[in-house]
Amino acid sequence: MYGYIARRLVQLVFVLIGVSIITFLIMFLIPGNPAYLLAGKNATPQRVAEISVELGLNKPIYVQYGRFVDRLVHGNFGESYQFERPVRQMLQSAIPNTAQLAVAAVLIELLGIPLGIYSALRQYTIWDSTLTTTALIIWGIPVFVLAVFMQYVFGVYLGILPFYGTGGSTFLWVIPADWNNLSHLILPAVTLGIIEVAYISYMQRASMLEVIRSDYVRTARAKGLPERSVILKHSLKNAVIPVLTIAGIDLGALMGGAILTETVFSRYGVGLMVYNAINARDLPVVVGGVLFATFVYVIANLVVDLAYAYIDPRIRYE
Amino acid sequence: MTDTESAASFAEPQLDSPLPVGSENEPVSAKPLGLWADTWRRLRRNKLALVGLGIIIVFLVIGVAQIIAGVTGIHGGYLAPYNPNAVNYTIAKAPPSLAHPFGTDYIGRDVFSRVLVASRISLLVGVIAVSIALALGLALGPLSGYYGGAIDSVIMRVADVFFAFPYILFVLLLVVVLGPGFRNVFIAIGLLSWASYARLVRGTVLSIKTQEYVEAAKAAGASDLRIVFGHVLPNSMAPVYVAIAMGIGGAIVTEAALSFLGIGVQPPTASWGNMISDYLNYLQAGQWWMELFPCLALVITVFGFISFGNGLRDATDPKLKE
Repeated sequence: MYGYIARRLVQLVFVLIGVSIITFLIMFLIPGNPAYLLAGKNATPQRVAEISVELGLNKPIYVQYGRFVDRLVHGNFGESYQFERPVRQMLQSAIPNTAQLAVAAVLIELLGIPLGIYSALRQYTIWDSTLTTTALIIWGIPVFVLAVFMQYVFGVYLGILPFYGTGGSTFLWVIPADWNNLSHLILPAVTLGIIEVAYISYMQRASMLEVIRSDYVRTARAKGLPERSVILKHSLKNAVIPVLTIAGIDLGALMGGAILTETVFSRYGVGLMVYNAINARDLPVVVGGVLFATFVYVIANLVVDLAYAYIDPRIRYE
Repeated sequence: MTDTESAASFAEPQLDSPLPVGSENEPVSAKPLGLWADTWRRLRRNKLALVGLGIIIVFLVIGVAQIIAGVTGIHGGYLAPYNPNAVNYTIAKAPPSLAHPFGTDYIGRDVFSRVLVASRISLLVGVIAVSIALALGLALGPLSGYYGGAIDSVIMRVADVFFAFPYILFVLLLVVVLGPGFRNVFIAIGLLSWASYARLVRGTVLSIKTQEYVEAAKAAGASDLRIVFGHVLPNSMAPVYVAIAMGIGGAIVTEAALSFLGIGVQPPTASWGNMISDYLNYLQAGQWWMELFPCLALVITVFGFISFGNGLRDATDPKLKE
């Protein structure tokens, strides 16, 4: 197990270096001189030159890359052109909203597990085909289309839930402490959650079918175990674990900001922050948001992989 | 699944070999079914997949017709009852009627014509973006899987980096750098999805390269290039076809999402994504038809690709064969 952890950590370092190089190149290749942007419209050439020196834009590319990485390692994502505020501060104010949404959506998507198992155990019945068909249809709905629909039906037409913004207060960053907070959470969380429920239930059905057709389950049946124990003791764990890893990775992906959902519901999280920054051509904020999301996603993947290897020893020896 | 077919006397392909070879235990029909005939036989039983296939065919026909019209300039460059960009304030915001089956939008453009013509953007994005990704993936994946060693490590570590980026955010970043507009959307999606094709092909190549027929080709003195592209790759393609179907659906959604966020296809060029964002305010005012039809077109098309892709996977996956 330690060998596996060490290997994965080395891999993580390589991935992070790769991510930093690609992100740096993208920033380097972007047309336009950031010094002009920072200096403002009526800046004198001297001011632009000063800022260029300040940003190190006159140095060779590898020196600039070194400075870029050095700043990242120290948690410095630069300063927003638009608000002249450190990107780190902006991230800090956006993260709790994003985290709350991510956790809520993943909790909802876990409902797909029992649905998928039920479907698999009743394969080819009317329940199975109804559930599977519904799952496929919902899975194909782009999240922003569903968001627009939910916003219209529950926010505008029925008028029972607030359909934009955030409000109220939380307890431990993510747990809603009052109705105001919870009510703003429901629509975006359900939107994200429903699509993932569909996906998870589809995957869970496939995984369960594979397990109940496997040799060791046939053996368990052959030796006369009651069906209940075949399913609960022998099949369930092996069928659920792969699907749980999907949910874990989803959590990591959503923690980086659900840009479409947050934009439709005007929920100020990392995704909306990046969206606003794109429209304002505020590059440091865009890059800061993307790097934050990438980092969280990579770490989530690592945690999921390690947990998986811990549970399933076959993985460690691959 | 019907009873007659589940008790099939067809020669099922071996689990680990995509070639339909009858084993001694199974009765072999006079002429063994080819891989595709066998796949089609299974696919035909999956109604959802057939619905998906039907949707894809309709989408292709409409999309190709629009592209041909666009390229040749026949009928003003579009195949629709009205010019999709013709403004007519006198009929603005009209609900669906016989003359305008999907109604008209806030400046009197015919929504039905716009939805039809926009299919060409979706089709182009799906095909071009996936082709870019596929070309990269099919070049790098087999190299990686067949040679292994240092080449494999380098290619797969680079793929890891591409997997590390959250997809939509990174596409956004690329489009911001390249500038909005629809050519850049193709490029961004294509550049970002090669890694999954490469990894997929590598995996199947790894499992196939140890098969006896590859050894036989080697013994017969075939070159590496010929073995990889002539023998290994053709037998590694089934999962790739599934990935292509899913990938086209995914690329269509991504383009729509980017256009919805305002950094993809720019108005007045109609794309399902930018129509959905453009008409959003009118939905809230109760003029639902502008928003509904582009949404439906997008959802139905994507459903077609996902449903067909899933069916194809089930039909080609040896693990699911009974």
